[in-house]
Amino acid sequence: MITLTINQKNYEVDVNPDMPLLWVLRDVIGLVGTKYGCGVAQCGACVVHLNGEAVRSCVTKVKRAQGGKITTIEGLSEKNDHPLQKAWIELDVPQCGYCQSGQLMSAAVLLRENPDPSDEDIDAAMAGNICRCGTYLRIRKAIHLAADMQRKVNRT
Amino acid sequence: MNQVSRRNFIKHTSGAGIALWLGISSRGIAAKTADLASAKNFTPFILVDSDNNITIFNIRPEMGQGTFQSVPAIIAEEFEVSLDQIRIKQTNGEKEFGPQQRAGGSASIRTGYDDLRKIGASAKAVFIAAACKKWDAKEDDCFASKGKIFHKPTNKSFTYGALVEEASAIEIPKQPKLKNPKDFTIIGKQKHRPDVPLKTNGTAEFGLDMKVSGMLYATIERCPIVGGTLKSFDSDEALKMPGVQKVVEVERIMGIYHSSGVAVIADSYWNATQARKKLKIEWDTKGYEKFNSKDFENYLRALAKEDGLLDKNIGDVNTINLSSQNIIEAFYETPMVAHHALEPMNCIAEVKDDKVEIWTSSQVNSTITGSGANDLHKFIGFSPENIKLHAAFVGGGFGRRLNIDYVIEAVNIAKQINKPVKLIWSREDTTQYGPYRPMTFSQLKGGMDDSGKLVMFQHKVISPSYSEAMRPGFDIKTVDGTMVEGIGEQAYEIPNLKTSYVRAEFHVPVAAWRSVTSSTLAFAHECFMDELAQKAGKDPLDFRLSLLTKDSDLKKVLLKLKEFSNWDEPLPKNKARGLAQWEFFAGLCAQVVEVTYHADRSIKIDKVYAVIDLGVAVNPDNVKNQIEGAIVMALGAATKPGITLKNGMVQQHNFYDNPLPRINEIPDIDIYILTGGERIKGVGEPGLPPFAPALANAIFSASGKRLRRLPFDLNNLDSGEL
Amino acid sequence: MNHPSEKKLHYFLHLKVIVLIAVILTVVVLTTSAFKDSKTVMDIAVYKNAVTDSTESAEAFLQVYKVLMSPRCMNCHPAGDEPLQGDESKVHTMKVQRGKDGKGVYAAKCSNCHQPENTPGLHTPPGNPKWSLPPADMKMVFQGRTSHQLALQIMDYNRNGHKNKKQLLAHARDTLVKAAWNMGEGRKPPPLSYEAFLKAWDTWIQKGGYAPK
Repeated sequence: MITLTINQKNYEVDVNPDMPLLWVLRDVIGLVGTKYGCGVAQCGACVVHLNGEAVRSCVTKVKRAQGGKITTIEGLSEKNDHPLQKAWIELDVPQCGYCQSGQLMSAAVLLRENPDPSDEDIDAAMAGNICRCGTYLRIRKAIHLAADMQRKVNRT
Repeated sequence: MNQVSRRNFIKHTSGAGIALWLGISSRGIAAKTADLASAKNFTPFILVDSDNNITIFNIRPEMGQGTFQSVPAIIAEEFEVSLDQIRIKQTNGEKEFGPQQRAGGSASIRTGYDDLRKIGASAKAVFIAAACKKWDAKEDDCFASKGKIFHKPTNKSFTYGALVEEASAIEIPKQPKLKNPKDFTIIGKQKHRPDVPLKTNGTAEFGLDMKVSGMLYATIERCPIVGGTLKSFDSDEALKMPGVQKVVEVERIMGIYHSSGVAVIADSYWNATQARKKLKIEWDTKGYEKFNSKDFENYLRALAKEDGLLDKNIGDVNTINLSSQNIIEAFYETPMVAHHALEPMNCIAEVKDDKVEIWTSSQVNSTITGSGANDLHKFIGFSPENIKLHAAFVGGGFGRRLNIDYVIEAVNIAKQINKPVKLIWSREDTTQYGPYRPMTFSQLKGGMDDSGKLVMFQHKVISPSYSEAMRPGFDIKTVDGTMVEGIGEQAYEIPNLKTSYVRAEFHVPVAAWRSVTSSTLAFAHECFMDELAQKAGKDPLDFRLSLLTKDSDLKKVLLKLKEFSNWDEPLPKNKARGLAQWEFFAGLCAQVVEVTYHADRSIKIDKVYAVIDLGVAVNPDNVKNQIEGAIVMALGAATKPGITLKNGMVQQHNFYDNPLPRINEIPDIDIYILTGGERIKGVGEPGLPPFAPALANAIFSASGKRLRRLPFDLNNLDSGEL
Repeated sequence: MNHPSEKKLHYFLHLKVIVLIAVILTVVVLTTSAFKDSKTVMDIAVYKNAVTDSTESAEAFLQVYKVLMSPRCMNCHPAGDEPLQGDESKVHTMKVQRGKDGKGVYAAKCSNCHQPENTPGLHTPPGNPKWSLPPADMKMVFQGRTSHQLALQIMDYNRNGHKNKKQLLAHARDTLVKAAWNMGEGRKPPPLSYEAFLKAWDTWIQKGGYAPK
């Protein structure tokens, strides 16, 4: 049995400790907001937070996550109101939407560590996330917008 | 997106009370019914029930193109309901909703616009008439707004729901009055898409996310030599692996291509993939193990000497007398590319007796449930009425999901085990087994008279045939129009024009890739147009305009682009711009690409200006999103390695060797939408074809290097092969 | 951490060695003392019995150098602030950055993809618990360095991550260094075996830490 803490809830799963966290989340626990895109840490669709870091769950064995704190897209905010989610909605970023869970989870670490990211910072944080629909320009804009929103909230 | 049986359709969808369906008959006339189950030749689009629930159905699969809302929005505009008053419901290929439940060819709006408006307007007229009857009022005194009918003199109102019963008895008008576009409150204005919030918190359900109780998972090992098939297999070791339930042979059918692989069925996808490595398989490679795409390229070049099949022939390119120094020729080449929808192919199937239930994301829901000659039932041995589909959001289509090969595979697996099975293609499977956009090679010849006016133009396309590959029984003695799309129909006024096609035999599955053959033919055609302009000593834009003496959409677009891109303003020394346009079945777009040229022979793309001609833009912001995306996709196809084969095997595996553009590579993009035109054009694809030629033309202008082969390496113009 | 002794190894270079250097000036391997050129201060107490031999030392470093310049080592000791990858040592895709501590930045930290152990399969991220680049204030660049430059750099306390002799010797036994010989499917190991590398490394240092000319 492996105990996982996901979005502040505890789960006990009976799986091979080498099974990638991605498939435990999706097929065992049923949290399917985290996506499979490549399986080899190339596309970023599977990004979740493990102890606050944007790990790629497709190559993260579930045993590494044991005892850690996991946040998935379902737990990024309670009411879909993380500044990034609000900015994504405001600018209608997604097209097909399949990559966007991973994009948001990557961007969330960027924004936490850098409240006012430059375009270069965004490139450095986000170049690991592929969007086949090509919504990159909007992702960039939305991160800037979310940073603005976040700063405004922090000022008041 | 629950699907319901025909009988329960009304009850399920509309809750209690009575309901009225409004839609269109098979003859394209607005129609309605209160009894959908017995209605014949009727496609519903609107459902209003007596509790005032207003549902508008989107029949087009949503794959990111935005029709989930823009199709219902057109109806809502004429029906006078606001978008927050309606519930949009995605259809699941139900027979009631007809054969148009597909997304492809940038067709949803351009082919549906008039009918959708008519449906909305007819529905509105019915409810106005119903209200008049109730009030005993004159129609001129009544108007519809925000889901209600108002009586002007008394300011009384009814919701649509309150009028359902009366409306059921009203004759639907044959020629409803449409709104003046000036009065539109939704079309051309609306912005936020309702599927977006679902796509920011993980709740949007894609095919891969669907679940059926008791479901197993499958992965398939297919012949690594493309074109090969299964000879025999030994599953002993695989069956010993944890969670494995069964190992079965499974057939894949893709157009004319049939092959078999071995499916491992297990209790989790991961367990299935682990066991797949333990399979021992003997393949029948049929000699395809000797195939190299390099050799195939030489074969295509050799075929260029043949006359091929005639497409367009205007004037006479052979008898026109031109000085040989006024004639130029060029040969252009493009690679195979993979679609790489980010959601890998997947499908759940469950077989119970003579019925099959399917859960998947597809561009062709009505092909899965339909009764047509090339629909799913033909390949799986179930009658169409026994096929039930649950459609999901589509995690990228780009033409890949016009094919139902993965659905056929899933059903073939499910037939062999008494449980629902979810088949998942890995990214490696997706990269290695196709289908792909085929290589298209182009031989071009153009000639000018002594004044530098283009009077002769020839474009010969040499490539495998989509139609042959996808439509069993296609007559290869006829020209495959798809392979020459657009090249004979550009608006340029050239008195002697010949376009032709030489078919190449090919065993690798090919399929339409966003903007189909235009994504490669435009590169050849519009680069060569620049070569001709250079030969004539003319500015590339002026040269094109000189071929457009009559009014045309293209002329309008180029003039707008000239102004929008500041074409006539000089650029700094190391910068240059290039131009291209393309008009084809899906629409019309022209682009200017600005580049910086570095001394180390590398190129940076600074900016792209795009002008798209649409007639009407239902959701302008969504149009821009589509153009941005098309340009990014075109950038990848132009500057990233394509698909190649060596010893019969695809040499690329995943994004590490078949990379896609990333955020740090994307130029600024400015888009201008031309509306007010007569003909409605498409959005999803037209942004793609002009980009590669505009970029190559800019690179020529900057560096003097004429690139005639895709892809090219922006980091080193001289590197040749990518 | 051991504070480096003030005694400088180059003071122990005796005449015989200097003569020998002069003699082999025209021979293939030319050496200078890394310790002499740099401000290196070595804890020689442990090795006071070691006999320096510039030729043997410098030749040993040439073996070491082959390993250090192999993709398995050099890829994470790049000249720029982006790691390299693969047997061709191309710049790492995804615009991965060194970051202050050498562990990447934001959503692109090394350990987000590089696990404590190798991920199975071809072209998957190799792994190690310590996976990182040298930090920004101590970049320890290998890429582009000549054998001469690199030997001097490694012997330089201020450029080698503040390692004294003992720590340098120990460094070759570090699990991350050792991981170069087990970097996942499909990756070419360094050109020497790990044992041969260790031997060359020790010889190089024990014999005086000379830099090939």
